[in-house]
Amino acid sequence: MKRHHVIVRITHWVNAIALTLMIGSGLRIFNAYPAFARKGETFCCYPFEHIPIPAKLTFGGWLAGARNWHFAMMWVLVVNGLVYLGFIYLHGEWRDLVPRRGIFRDALEMVRFYLNQRKDHPRQGKHNALQRLAYFSMPIVGIVAVVTGIAIWKPVELSPLTTLLGGYVWARYWHFLAMVALVVLSVGHIFMIFSVDPYSLQSMITGGYREDLSPESRNARPFVHLLPNPKAET
Amino acid sequence: MSRGRDSHVAERKALDRRRFLEASAGAAGALFLAACDSMGPRSAQKLLKFAEAKNETLERGLFRHSSIDMPPGGARAAGGSFPSYFVSRQVPVWDEAARGVWKLEVGGMVKTPLSLSLTDLAALPRTGYKLEHFCVEGWTAVATRTGVRVSDIAKLAGVDRAAKYVDFQSFDDEYHESWDVESAMHPQTLVVYAQDGHYLNAAWGAPARVYSPTKLGYKNTKYLTRIMFMPARNGGYWSDRGYEWYGGV
Repeated sequence: MKRHHVIVRITHWVNAIALTLMIGSGLRIFNAYPAFARKGETFCCYPFEHIPIPAKLTFGGWLAGARNWHFAMMWVLVVNGLVYLGFIYLHGEWRDLVPRRGIFRDALEMVRFYLNQRKDHPRQGKHNALQRLAYFSMPIVGIVAVVTGIAIWKPVELSPLTTLLGGYVWARYWHFLAMVALVVLSVGHIFMIFSVDPYSLQSMITGGYREDLSPESRNARPFVHLLPNPKAET
Repeated sequence: MSRGRDSHVAERKALDRRRFLEASAGAAGALFLAACDSMGPRSAQKLLKFAEAKNETLERGLFRHSSIDMPPGGARAAGGSFPSYFVSRQVPVWDEAARGVWKLEVGGMVKTPLSLSLTDLAALPRTGYKLEHFCVEGWTAVATRTGVRVSDIAKLAGVDRAAKYVDFQSFDDEYHESWDVESAMHPQTLVVYAQDGHYLNAAWGAPARVYSPTKLGYKNTKYLTRIMFMPARNGGYWSDRGYEWYGGV
């Protein structure tokens, strides 16, 4: 039994690439006007107006190049996302991701464990409570990013949508915040993979996973018990 | 699954895994460095062009004359903060002594070519809207635009039904942009001669400019001299330099 179905593995990596290019090109587009205020107005809620994102973190080279990438890659992101969501809906994997009763209590236990407030790794199924919350939020934030993106792509042709989001300026702001949330979730995810469960990388490539190397078996916190537990090996 | 495996195998597996991790981290790093602030691989340009063509088809399918721009109620007019933009080294000013009185030429696939002075334009049915301006850079600005609908001018000239494209030419160097005729016939697509209740000043495209909220700023030629109805598109200043030709909003 593979830990991740081949469709989940493929869509995961396609998403990783598409999302990286979308964020990089999006930041390059943002740098053409790194602010939110309508001309002649001020904007309440962004303290870094007119400070560009470091060029090293952007992709596309210049505004037109970044736009061309953004408007091409958006289709990869959307189609790939729909394949993933359609698959986990039909194949049942959604059950591993939707929040269960007591999810916040369980998540709090995970946080306590990571902060050394608790000795033993809480019991879990395929994912712990924090993972479930993260993997459940990711597609939702992704959908928010896509919808707000459509609203600022076509603010006149699809003006009811843009108006619903508070107009172009606010829709652009929601689009930016969705990107920030995606970056935070992704960075957290990558950090946890390498600091807690690097063995799971294999499960997202070949699908294979050794339960005896799971974080629960190793009682692993970030950078603690990273190596296989010698007792569990024998 | 793999409990109770021979420890040699486990060790070799761990080694393989480590090597794999190192190799994949290196590859990802190289990919990232190669991608940083570059324009991406050249071979991708064809794919991007393909995506642009498909997007244009979709956008033209979405386009409706009934989709109207209405700035949010609280939006303040930019007034003097409205940015000015031109490609010449200096603000373009129509030199009447050298070029004669400014006239807007309307030609190409029309029954009656027109040559309209500012007075002629002002005498045509006047339309004004408070409109948002969507710049490709991501900013917006609100202004009241007053002028004549391009569709009214087209009626006056008797445009041939076979004309599928329109070119808006300027006297700002070689600046021009061609459009699909449907966008040009949108009720909010105007030949604008006044902004916020005053005749355009030189910084904003005097004596007249095209303006439509259905197109990104760069498609809206300022310092207008000629409207040409054509059977085929002929690019544009920014469209020829990598920006989308359609530039729809």
